[in-house]
Amino acid sequence: MADSIQSLKDVVLDFDIDRAEEVARNAIDSGTDPLLAAAALTDAIRQVGDAFGKGDLFLPDLVCASEVLKKAFPIVNDAIEKKGATQESLGKVVIGTVFGDIHSIGKGMVSTLLYAAGFKVIDLGINVKGEDFLKAVKDENANVLAMSALLTTTAMEQKKVIEGLKEAGIRDRVKVVVGGSPINQEFADSIGADGYGSTAPEGVKVVKRLLGIKD
Amino acid sequence: MRKGFTRKIAPVKVLSDTQIEYIHNSSLEVLEKTGVKLESERALKILKENGCIIDFESKIAKFPGWLVEESVRRAPSSFSVKARIPEDDLRISMSNLYFMPAAGAKLHDEKTGSLSVATLKENDQGVKICDGLDAADFQASYCPYFELKDIEPVMLLAESQASIARNSTRVSRGAQATDSFIWEAQIANAAGKQLIGTMEGAAPLCFPEDAVNAAFEYMDNGFPIWATGGSIMGGSSPVTIAGATVTNNAEILAAITFIQCYRPGNAVLANDFVVPMDMESGNLFFGAIGAGFHQMAFNQIYRELYRIPTCNAMAAFPNSKLIDYQNAFEKTHLALSAALSGASMIAFIGSVSQELAWSPLQAVIDNDAVNIIGRYIEGFEINDLTIASDLIAEVGPSPGSFLGKKHTRENWRRESYIPKTFDRLSYQDWARSGKPSVIDKARNSVEEIIKKHRPQPLSETQENQIQGILKEARKYYEKKGLL
Repeated sequence: MADSIQSLKDVVLDFDIDRAEEVARNAIDSGTDPLLAAAALTDAIRQVGDAFGKGDLFLPDLVCASEVLKKAFPIVNDAIEKKGATQESLGKVVIGTVFGDIHSIGKGMVSTLLYAAGFKVIDLGINVKGEDFLKAVKDENANVLAMSALLTTTAMEQKKVIEGLKEAGIRDRVKVVVGGSPINQEFADSIGADGYGSTAPEGVKVVKRLLGIKD
Repeated sequence: MRKGFTRKIAPVKVLSDTQIEYIHNSSLEVLEKTGVKLESERALKILKENGCIIDFESKIAKFPGWLVEESVRRAPSSFSVKARIPEDDLRISMSNLYFMPAAGAKLHDEKTGSLSVATLKENDQGVKICDGLDAADFQASYCPYFELKDIEPVMLLAESQASIARNSTRVSRGAQATDSFIWEAQIANAAGKQLIGTMEGAAPLCFPEDAVNAAFEYMDNGFPIWATGGSIMGGSSPVTIAGATVTNNAEILAAITFIQCYRPGNAVLANDFVVPMDMESGNLFFGAIGAGFHQMAFNQIYRELYRIPTCNAMAAFPNSKLIDYQNAFEKTHLALSAALSGASMIAFIGSVSQELAWSPLQAVIDNDAVNIIGRYIEGFEINDLTIASDLIAEVGPSPGSFLGKKHTRENWRRESYIPKTFDRLSYQDWARSGKPSVIDKARNSVEEIIKKHRPQPLSETQENQIQGILKEARKYYEKKGLL
């Protein structure tokens, strides 16, 4: 089992997208506790996230490690569900790029780093409609809603979603974090967001601070 | 007609003939096998009638190589664009080079590097400053600022085009977002000028509905089209210069094919704006060497194989947040490599702080820079007069001097360019005059332009027409719930 755990860590740390599914399947088939397998993957992506934060690794490393997880985790998660167990997380974050905006890089970085930090991340992707953000926040009972906008013309979509949360009576249930190049603290305050991060690592810090989690 | 700079030296080459063929064939393979998405059923139907294979559900068109090559042949190798006054008309060709301002979202404070949102009045002044620069031959769209305090975002492009029409006699570019092209084309017609319209892709291999609709509208008005892909190397194109050259080329060839199928012979300016991704932050890596090689390869392919003039927009934006050495270097090496490799238009003037800011001070400094960069392609004359053998014999060895000779007095100006903003004082004079920086000198130049430059105003009829168009635009967006 120790070998399987190490292989799971290695497949992430080697950014080996091609072997991700095979390594995860072998680990589960050989009887590795799926919760330990999940912990191994999370531990490895956390190492990648930390190295990225220090400037030792770069964006292609971070995104490729995240791709490894996308392939390996469904296999591990299935096994966890079959076992009837649940995974612990620091909280649930719904994240996406707002409607009208197809920029994915910044959002993807935040998504990966949140995941690496131990959050459960529900990534809705790009060009996400306001109603889809609201539905995901409700359905997932999310602790945090994180929205990205890279265009000055789409930044106001973030405000619309916040207004939607108010109208739906769920604004108090969720912390809202915004980011993107046209966004600044002043803008975040003006639209009633709870937090703003100018970089992906800062975004993670803001989410932790809002949920009272120590770094 | 504006002269710009005349190309008298052979363009620098970075590709062999075989490499050009390799890139062209790889681009055709992308167009034939992978195809390009065009989010317009109307455009897809036109392409189908002309021989493309269309999947209407995915909106992907696959282009046969013969149609692409035929379309490239139909696009003219040079064309004229009408300005408000004949002196500002452009003749875009491979034998001349024009420069244009960049656009920046906000107004830059040269002392702190801080940014603030400009007013429409400040935008008018920015346009007027560009009009007052001898080397700013063309105005960009949404220029110089693309956020305005007193203008709603959806009205920005129409108001910006009106600002250009009112404060400049130069040709300008049209934009494409949120149906702005309807009003921009009408404003240009009211002002008695043409635009270079736009068809701007959303890489990889995609043209959104706005881009295609804008191309239709601008072509219906008889305007040339600025065709551009706009990818990020490592994000929306391969990270390698060669791979990014192929995908970007496929995108632009798709646009050219669509344009030539709809309106054979319509002029195209092929624009190169492909920037590497900064792998530390995910931001655009402006001023990068990868961008330089990309545009040099692009210019060579379009010049030698396609015979279609090019614009290069990579020199338009520096990473530097200040008017400083980094800013100058990041922009200048890209503008110089663009000029030397054969670009017909280069975006350069006034930008600071990535795409986030524009500065009048930077604009007048950049005007000096482009006057020097442009001179490189003009080379220098070699003939009996310039070699001056007789004079060399007459002056002889030291203590002979050329300074007091007629030849020196008559020829020195055209052999050089005298920058208005660069400090050239002796140290003593510089110290005595309060140690002025290039920024101080630029400030004086800006003040002088604002005080003295008076572009020919629009007639009352033209102004009334433009006001009417803006009113119609407001009604249109109100009806759509966007205002």
